[in-house]
Amino acid sequence: MNGAPDLSYVSMIFIGLLILIPLAVVHFLKLGIAKNLLVSAARMTVQLLLIGFFLEYLFRFDHWAVTVLWFMVMILVAVFSIIKSSKLKLNYFILPIFISMLISNFMVILYFNQFIVQLDCIFEAKYIIAIGGMILGNSLRANVIGVGDFYKSLRKDENLYFYKLSLGATKLEALLPFAKQSFIAALNPTIATMATMGIVSLPGMMTGQILGGSVPLVAIKYQIAIMVAILASTVLSILLSLLFTLRISIDKSGVLKKDYFV
Amino acid sequence: MIQFKHITKQFSDNFVLQDFSFSIQKTEKVIITGRSGIGKSTIFKLLLGFVKPDKGEIWFEGKVLDEKSIWDFRKKIVYISQDLNIGTGKVHQLFEDTLSLKTNAEWKTESLNTVNELLSQFELNKTILDMSLEDLSGGEKQRVAIINGLLLKRDIFLLDEVTSALDKSLKKKVSDFFYLHPTFTVLSISHDNYMPENKTIRTLKLD
Repeated sequence: MNGAPDLSYVSMIFIGLLILIPLAVVHFLKLGIAKNLLVSAARMTVQLLLIGFFLEYLFRFDHWAVTVLWFMVMILVAVFSIIKSSKLKLNYFILPIFISMLISNFMVILYFNQFIVQLDCIFEAKYIIAIGGMILGNSLRANVIGVGDFYKSLRKDENLYFYKLSLGATKLEALLPFAKQSFIAALNPTIATMATMGIVSLPGMMTGQILGGSVPLVAIKYQIAIMVAILASTVLSILLSLLFTLRISIDKSGVLKKDYFV
Repeated sequence: MIQFKHITKQFSDNFVLQDFSFSIQKTEKVIITGRSGIGKSTIFKLLLGFVKPDKGEIWFEGKVLDEKSIWDFRKKIVYISQDLNIGTGKVHQLFEDTLSLKTNAEWKTESLNTVNELLSQFELNKTILDMSLEDLSGGEKQRVAIINGLLLKRDIFLLDEVTSALDKSLKKKVSDFFYLHPTFTVLSISHDNYMPENKTIRTLKLD
């Protein structure tokens, strides 16, 4: 595979010059976000540089245990992010959501490596970290909507939930309408993206592969595979997160424990 | 049949109920009155296990209501809350959903056959079945909630201000329906002064 040509220092200077355009617009329109923009750009550069060195080491070393460990760290960071955006209390929810994300993401990435790409070593760092990262990023986003919205609407419409219980509903029967709504909300973005894929935008993974020297048809096959993998891990992770968290967040009489939420 | 034994419930620093004891017998009708914020609705929520008492116990048919028995209790009562947050979507869908719950499925067909009769009894037009709950007026929604409850074929009623949005003649009609029913046990929170001529009716005033 012929990789994309490296970007020289001169290129990097030209990138720096290109940022002057947004900066100038921000300045002349007095948008007041020039500082934010610069800080963010600087953060991005530093973070990516660090992760770049780190990944280079990780890919060269390519030991399955280190790769798995790093993927678990990535999952943990995703879990923190889900819990924070969903206004849940960390100490109660970290374990169930971590286990859910661990199972769903590992299952899908290992399936992907074993049966779709058919790697010799399914723990190959490049695949676990890069493809796994894409899958993980998407199940993170989906869980923020799926799990976050689920508990938000359950708290907001607690009286409706109580009404269902008073009609004789089991916990499952009373919770199911809420879960259905959250699933739909979480899956809609992925479904919409799939429907316009290739026309509205060439996905990042395809762009990367084409620049990396793959012919478009190969890139397309990978893209289809990754979208289906994302869909699978999304559904699986929301399902498991709801199942695991509901075991702790609802008491035996079916009432949501209010002190479990921020 | 239902017994509150020395119930105490405090919300933050505010005692809603303190050493509250009360009981209701089968087929008895009790109206709970008292100024707002005094904890009338809390009595129902305690009974249904949605709120836990700080002290005391609630008994039903000779058994204490706990996290296990509460599930059976919920299958024996009809609860109509004040805020009428009973769902979204079409009215007929609400009825079908209610009767699709595992515990109610047994009399689904039988109950659905009585819907038209109940609608006319409570002066609602059949066309309401195809209307969305969100589009109903307060009074219509109250009657839809009552019908949804009656479809369950249960005989213990916890009614929280179920006639508040009805006009005078409907208020009388609905109240008479419950208060004069020979087999219903009714616990009703109400601000209305209307009371039918019925010697067995009892008023519980909270203060």
